[in-house]
Amino acid sequence: MGSVLRRLLFFFQRNQFDRDLEDELRFHEEMKAHALADADGISGDEARAAARRRIGNPLRLREQSREPWTFATVETFAQDVRHALRLMRRDPAFTFTALATLALGIGLNTAIFSVAYGVLWRPLPYPNPDRLVIVSSAQQTETGPRTFSTWAPVSYEALRPRVTTLDHLAAYTSIDAPLTGRGEPLQLRALDVSPNFFVTLGVNPARGRAFLTGAAAPDDDRSAIVSDRLWRTSLKADPAIVGQSITIDGLPRTVVGVLPPDFSFRPVIRMGALPEADIFLSNRWPGDTGRNAFLFLLGRMKPGVTQERAEAELTALVNDPSIAPAGALGLEGALAPNVRTLARAVGLQEYGTESVRTLLLILLGAVSFVLLIACVNVANLQMARLSARRGELSVRMALGAGRRRIVHQLLTEAVVLSLLGASLGVMLARIAIDVTLPLVPQFALPRLGGIVIDARVMAFCLGLSLVSTLLIGLVPALRVSGAAFGEGLALHAGEARTTGDRQGERLRTLLVAAQIAMTLVLLIGAGLLIHSFVRLTSVSPGFELSGRDGVVQTVKVTLPERLYDEPERIHAFARGVLDRIQYLPGVKSASLINSAPFGMMFIRGDFGIEGQPKPTLDAGKPKIDAGYFKTMGIPLLAGREFTARDTMAAPKVAIVSERIVREYFPGGPGEALGRRVRLGDRGEWLTVVGVVADIRQMGLDQEVQPMLYVPFQQERGEFFVLRFVSFVARTATPASVVEGIRAEIRRAAPDLPIESTVTMDEAVAASVAPPRFRMLLLVLFAMTATLIATCGIYGLMAYAVTQRRREIGVRMALGAEPRDVLRLVLTRALRIVVAGLIVGLAGAAGVTRVLQTFLFGVTPTDPIAFTIVTLLLMAVGLMAAWLPARRATRIDPCAALRAE
Amino acid sequence: MKEAKTKSKNELLPGTLEMLILKTLSIESMHGYGIAQHLQMLSADVLTIEEGSLYPALQRMLVKGWVLAEWKISANNRRARFYTLTTAGKKQLGVEESRFSQMFGAIMRVMKTT
Repeated sequence: MGSVLRRLLFFFQRNQFDRDLEDELRFHEEMKAHALADADGISGDEARAAARRRIGNPLRLREQSREPWTFATVETFAQDVRHALRLMRRDPAFTFTALATLALGIGLNTAIFSVAYGVLWRPLPYPNPDRLVIVSSAQQTETGPRTFSTWAPVSYEALRPRVTTLDHLAAYTSIDAPLTGRGEPLQLRALDVSPNFFVTLGVNPARGRAFLTGAAAPDDDRSAIVSDRLWRTSLKADPAIVGQSITIDGLPRTVVGVLPPDFSFRPVIRMGALPEADIFLSNRWPGDTGRNAFLFLLGRMKPGVTQERAEAELTALVNDPSIAPAGALGLEGALAPNVRTLARAVGLQEYGTESVRTLLLILLGAVSFVLLIACVNVANLQMARLSARRGELSVRMALGAGRRRIVHQLLTEAVVLSLLGASLGVMLARIAIDVTLPLVPQFALPRLGGIVIDARVMAFCLGLSLVSTLLIGLVPALRVSGAAFGEGLALHAGEARTTGDRQGERLRTLLVAAQIAMTLVLLIGAGLLIHSFVRLTSVSPGFELSGRDGVVQTVKVTLPERLYDEPERIHAFARGVLDRIQYLPGVKSASLINSAPFGMMFIRGDFGIEGQPKPTLDAGKPKIDAGYFKTMGIPLLAGREFTARDTMAAPKVAIVSERIVREYFPGGPGEALGRRVRLGDRGEWLTVVGVVADIRQMGLDQEVQPMLYVPFQQERGEFFVLRFVSFVARTATPASVVEGIRAEIRRAAPDLPIESTVTMDEAVAASVAPPRFRMLLLVLFAMTATLIATCGIYGLMAYAVTQRRREIGVRMALGAEPRDVLRLVLTRALRIVVAGLIVGLAGAAGVTRVLQTFLFGVTPTDPIAFTIVTLLLMAVGLMAAWLPARRATRIDPCAALRAE
Repeated sequence: MKEAKTKSKNELLPGTLEMLILKTLSIESMHGYGIAQHLQMLSADVLTIEEGSLYPALQRMLVKGWVLAEWKISANNRRARFYTLTTAGKKQLGVEESRFSQMFGAIMRVMKTT
């Protein structure tokens, strides 16, 4: 401790120290001169000179005497930094290339890391988030466990008071609720939550209070808590909002609280993340029959409880016969008595991120390749520069700088480069995030709010620059420690130009080949995604997109349950609107469906065919109106479409899809006509009157589903699925038709919000947005890598040509044609490129398997992608070598030889 | 290269220079030149103390607090920087002495076995 203090004091008394040392050394010198004069009998001046000679280099002595006092590393570091900055200023071309390369590499990594961290690892904004779990239901069936997410309210109410491993168990379900009476009717993203939802999360509203949890608060079931966003927009930031009543889904709700601005809860479902909810409605789901499982359960584990323990307890409770009959608490448990229901506890943090996790890890891998390639490039540039700086370094070594000191200096240069590159990289990352996040397809990324560049991301970025420092500093530094460098001065004198720095060149060649290899891996990954995307988009959805008669425009509404509680009301609303929009100007034909293809909804279930054993396949069960197939452009293969005469009064009919015919009617469409089918096990028999072509319901990459179409106007048993109505219209003027349909809906139901208005083209495009985005990202990374690697080859070949100027001059003097010189350089480049490509191909074959889940109709070792991409990279590599090769042919032999 | 070889013959074992300086200063305060002379004389010219080693060593010992330096008038009436042993320095001398005799004994034992 004392010595540190003394050294710090020294820092402020440096001048005094220097004077003291000066005096002391002069004294020493004089004493020595005196002694020498006495002993050898020489004169004063001579003696003094002799003394000085014996003492040796005074500067060095002074430096060494100072050294114990200084924080040596700090001072030499500062000195080296100054030196590095000076060198960088002197060589702007190098500096620009190196910094740009590093900034790209580090920037891409920082951007992707901030996304990955925000989505996968950033702790959720609740107290002790690691104790929050989603409790899902699963079933042990003969074919293995099937996981569902949701529970029936009766199951929830059975579990909540009994579970002991959880502090709280809350339930929520996502609903769409219209807000009316405050300007334009608005469809809100809402969550129906159990009263203890916010207690479980550990969040308190910024204004007002959370829901009351005790049984003593029956009035609270009519209350609502709103998000800060909703409060600021639709509720106009009214400071007296707490206690006021708003109309949600046609019913008055009292606002009891406003959430803090930073509150965020994105309900995650199996398909992806839903948008954040704007309003939370307290619900206890009274009078539930257990037939529908729609509740997500959110639990807060007691401190010290593991997920396994919670799972074990919940599973035991679900199957406890003293609470409910076996299986009754599971999803569809009553229907399948021999199925054992399980409970699964998944951390809220991980829940629903599985697919994104793979993608993000792949992207992280891809960008770290880019960074590696970038570092190799800078290391190579450094090495080339090192050869040029041989003179400088040799002089330094001759003047007494040790190898360690030189290595130190080179590493410092690398640190300066990396840190500057990292700072630029962070700026680049910030821009990249701001520009690309809005382009990320909806549902693709849960927890977008967590994506920011903060201290942790900066720490990661700093770590990256450390890694790159080592990569770009160590390679050249090791070269200096190599034996060949000692003769630097001699080499500097001239011989270098003929033989070249063989060892260094071999290393540089190796690095460039490695760059090619890594670039190839990235490019092949991108190539696979491109090929897969082409395959995907060439799949026909089964209905006609934009055709001669225009596009299919859809307008979707959800009828509130409370106002439309009978099928007749829904039928009347639908028929009324449809009758009018058919005659809107610009509409070629119009119809409606309750679950439009490529929408969020697909209702499916079991069905039966008269006189046949129960089909093993499930069928989609859309409810449609007359003219649907004509409007959508789905070919009718046999029989007829539904018409306006297929009403409740008429005989019950159905139309089946080609897949059902293929599976169950070997005689073809003709055989199906007139046969009878039914929905579920107990439904009415319906006569098949038509067969239509297959369509893809959920996405181009999905299998064709069997479909059993039923007239909208004939459905009354499961009428609650009729509440979702999408009007479809074939039109060449979609914009005006949307306005027309909107007006007709408003006329029929003034308070009904319009949920969405998309054309089928847009819906299909949106369904391929995630693969397109993935493809674009990987293509971007691969192109960056290619660019950097191209610079690498160019640099290497340009340097080699300069080095072998004289050799080429001699060859030309001896009669080599420009063609021969060109071949000489290009062959060398080709050897390097091909070596890199071979390694890269092997690497890609091993690595592309990770892309498996993202490929459609293409294998991870797709020969087309592999071949095209390899040839492409070879061409690019040769092109990069072409310029230096051309320059080599223009070498004037006389000038080259005279230069010596 | 040749020069280095002859030089290394007279080189001290690492760490011993500081011990020798401590020992010298335990007799009386001395300036740098005096220390060098003293060591050379006592060792009958076997040990020549290089300035390049002596002064950095003295600075190291100042930093560690083993010695103090002050300007005084030398025997020949000149201003010189005298180094004095501190308590910490005395303690250190004991440490170094015992370590050295241990090492010396060990080396001698090795050398005597044939």
